[in-house]
Amino acid sequence: MSRLLEVSGVVKRFGGLAALDGLELHVEEGEIVSVIGPNGAGKSTLFNVVTGLYPPDEGDVRFDGRSIVGLRPHQITKLGIARTFQTVHLFANMTVLENAMVGQHCRTRSGVFGAIVRPPSTRREEERIREVARRSLAFFGPRLAGYRQEQPAFVLSYANRRRLEIARALATEPRLILLDEPTAGMNPRETLEMRDHIVRMRDELGLTVVVIEHDMRVVKGVSDRVIACDYGRVIAQGTYEAVAHDPQVIEAYLGRRAVG
Amino acid sequence: MRGALRPGARAGLVGGAVLVYLALVGMLVKFEELRLVGSQVTRGRLLLVLPPFAASFFAVRPRVIGGRVEQPGPGVALALGAVAGALVGAVGSVGLALVEAIGVERIRPVFVAVSPALVETLTFGRGAAAGAAILVVGGAALGAAGGIWRAIRHGLRRPVEVGLLTVVTLAMLQRIVPFMLDELRLERDWLYSRATRGLTWTGAVVVLVVATAAAAYVLDRRERRALAPAAEGRPEVRGWRRTALVTIAVVLAAALPQLAGSIVSEIMGTVGVFLLLALGLNIVTGYAGMLHLGFSAFFLIGAYAVALLTGANLVTAFGLVAPRFSADLNFYLALVLVVAIGAAVGALVAAPVLRLRGDYLAIVTLAFAQIAVILATSSWLQPITGGPQGLRDVTKAPLLGLEFRSAERFYYLVLAFCVLAVFVSWRLAWSRVGRAWNAMREDEQVADAMGVPTGRYKMLGFAIGGAIGALGGALFAVKVGTVQPGSFEIIQSITVLAVVILGGLGSVPGVVLGALVLLALPGLLSQLEEFRFLIYGAVLVAIMILRPQGLIPNVRRMRELREEERTQDAWQQIFAARQEREAAEEAAEAAP
Ligand SMILES: Nc1ncnc2c1ncn2[C@@H]1O[C@H](COP(=O)(O)OP(=O)(O)OP(=O)(O)O)[C@@H](O)[C@H]1O
Ligand SMILES: [Mg+2]
Repeated sequence: MSRLLEVSGVVKRFGGLAALDGLELHVEEGEIVSVIGPNGAGKSTLFNVVTGLYPPDEGDVRFDGRSIVGLRPHQITKLGIARTFQTVHLFANMTVLENAMVGQHCRTRSGVFGAIVRPPSTRREEERIREVARRSLAFFGPRLAGYRQEQPAFVLSYANRRRLEIARALATEPRLILLDEPTAGMNPRETLEMRDHIVRMRDELGLTVVVIEHDMRVVKGVSDRVIACDYGRVIAQGTYEAVAHDPQVIEAYLGRRAVG
Repeated sequence: MRGALRPGARAGLVGGAVLVYLALVGMLVKFEELRLVGSQVTRGRLLLVLPPFAASFFAVRPRVIGGRVEQPGPGVALALGAVAGALVGAVGSVGLALVEAIGVERIRPVFVAVSPALVETLTFGRGAAAGAAILVVGGAALGAAGGIWRAIRHGLRRPVEVGLLTVVTLAMLQRIVPFMLDELRLERDWLYSRATRGLTWTGAVVVLVVATAAAAYVLDRRERRALAPAAEGRPEVRGWRRTALVTIAVVLAAALPQLAGSIVSEIMGTVGVFLLLALGLNIVTGYAGMLHLGFSAFFLIGAYAVALLTGANLVTAFGLVAPRFSADLNFYLALVLVVAIGAAVGALVAAPVLRLRGDYLAIVTLAFAQIAVILATSSWLQPITGGPQGLRDVTKAPLLGLEFRSAERFYYLVLAFCVLAVFVSWRLAWSRVGRAWNAMREDEQVADAMGVPTGRYKMLGFAIGGAIGALGGALFAVKVGTVQPGSFEIIQSITVLAVVILGGLGSVPGVVLGALVLLALPGLLSQLEEFRFLIYGAVLVAIMILRPQGLIPNVRRMRELREEERTQDAWQQIFAARQEREAAEEAAEAAP
């Protein structure tokens, strides 16, 4: 195994508040890692820093041995990191299929000339984009199949929007996928389904997965390793059992609740 | 009941204000001159009828009450409409009374349009008291009619509206359509009277019936197709139909100069130039979602570039002089360069403003247009641009011994480029590039995170839009033969933006229709020129209220609306079925 992602000493401040305060973590290739922590612990901020949405104030982020600090989000996506958002962000007026097709953008190249003249190479590429998009939608079985693919994304149910967001991320053909609370707002059955999908991402697609999750059944079911954060720092990591019984973690959850 | 009539009162007062306004700006009298149907229906009278009718139409509009859409019943509609119409008439009467009391001569220095002719029109030549009565009673009657009209089922109302609109349009086009019929050697005396120049009553009725029937057929089919399952969206079928439509449109457009003569060609040539601009802007604003308020800058750049590259001369006190920098290239070669220059300037201007969004970007683009005009006018660049006088002797675009300055020839030149620009726009929309723009328009940050280099695509949007806009400018210079900074004021940018918004942002057929409606119609309908911007304003406000997605919305938006209806229908069916089942279960339980 090799280190796919390595975050070292990352600090990210918003005004006086350090959302990430010297965060250190790494992810091995082929691992499923859960990131847990109370609200405001800095989990989403971690994803935003890794994907280039926010530049870190200090520290380094390495992907596959190479520093990606300072790269634009689309460059990082092209290197092989895909993500979903905590609050779903689809291209609401594009069809389900088109949403997934946008994911293929970074793997294809035809430009204005190709668009206007449509030489065979462009047509083939367009066919391929469609193919990959269909395949990533098919990851969720019948959920996003058939007539739904021609519907605009905004008519989808909430759970399907989450699935489509993941399918769009899969269509970028990533090596590492970052899922920000993929089961938020889902009912228990859909949550269990999603748990299985997360495992399938690694087993069938060979992806490395980092997932932020509040639902402990999911965390327990998928994680090779659990990382618990609080105040922008890692407070515990290891197996689910170890982290769940770590006094600092319990204190973080309970203490916060008692104050709140 | 009194509360229920309030919408009628409000609409009536607004309608009355509109009536007074139309009278004061002189539209009523000016429009009186044109006879539309027989000798009874004049354009002025039509304009007089419109405010009460429109007021009641608005007063009776469906309302959302407690989350449900409430359409007033026929009785309420009648009452509301009558109140609104009568109020419009009453406001008009009050105006008349004021004019009578003060005297036409004393008002005239302030409101030029208040003339004996206006009083004559408003009183129908029967004196103030009778006139006021006619206004109020007639207004009430028209308002009632408008209210009832609104209460009629949509499927019946729409075709008749299309029919009436066709009649009015044909009547307004009385300078052009009879001429075309003559060219085609068709009998026309049954349709257009030689005495009044307008439509004959027979002609009007025939047109009304035919147009209504045709509209009913088309609308019915469209409705049925929209409700059919999604299988209808097979791309080959749509593609085939679109090809047929486009071919017909191009053939018609190509035949136009033969049929309609040089005045129409002249007007349509200008429309073509602006259509090119609008297509360019449509890429920047419609596809890529960046509001551009200074698009006339590309117009200017294209015009000056082609003038300088093809050997135009400066106008100076000492006669014509060659500019400091100029070339004497073949027009078509120069055009390639002009397009490249437009693209380069577009990209260069975009580079520093990539981080700006929305309003900020709009303001910068506005400044960009201003800077372009100031530079062209400046004494610093006078040796090249000719300052305020500009350049003249622009090329006539010779090709194989033909020159393209005359109205008909120029029309064909611009038509060819418009077809090209439409093709390019359409191909771009359905490509990887178009998808990237679309994603960027929806959510820039997310598009970036999904791998779309948004900065590059913004520049690309500006570059391609700029190239097409510059092409329009180049053709404009050929058409006019001179280039002056005065032709590229802000109002041109606004006009082009209005075309794109009216037609439908991001929709190529919409932009074409928008250009025809906003630019061709005022030119073709005689005497509208004077009130052009007034009408633009009114049309834009109406569009924003009634149809914010534009005349022919972008496919995606259309899908939005249709899909919503469809899912809603399906949902209602399921809901109804469930209720039925529950009722049955309850009944089964109740029975022992
Ligand atoms: N763009 C921003 N501007 C200002 N403050 C921010 C911003 N993004 C995050 N923060 C702050 O940083 C802290 C960490 O936020 P973050 O969203 O990373 O928490 P989280 O662990 O994802 O919490 P949750 O479980 O609620 O999603 C919070 O206090 C939040 O208010
Ligand atoms: Mg979060």
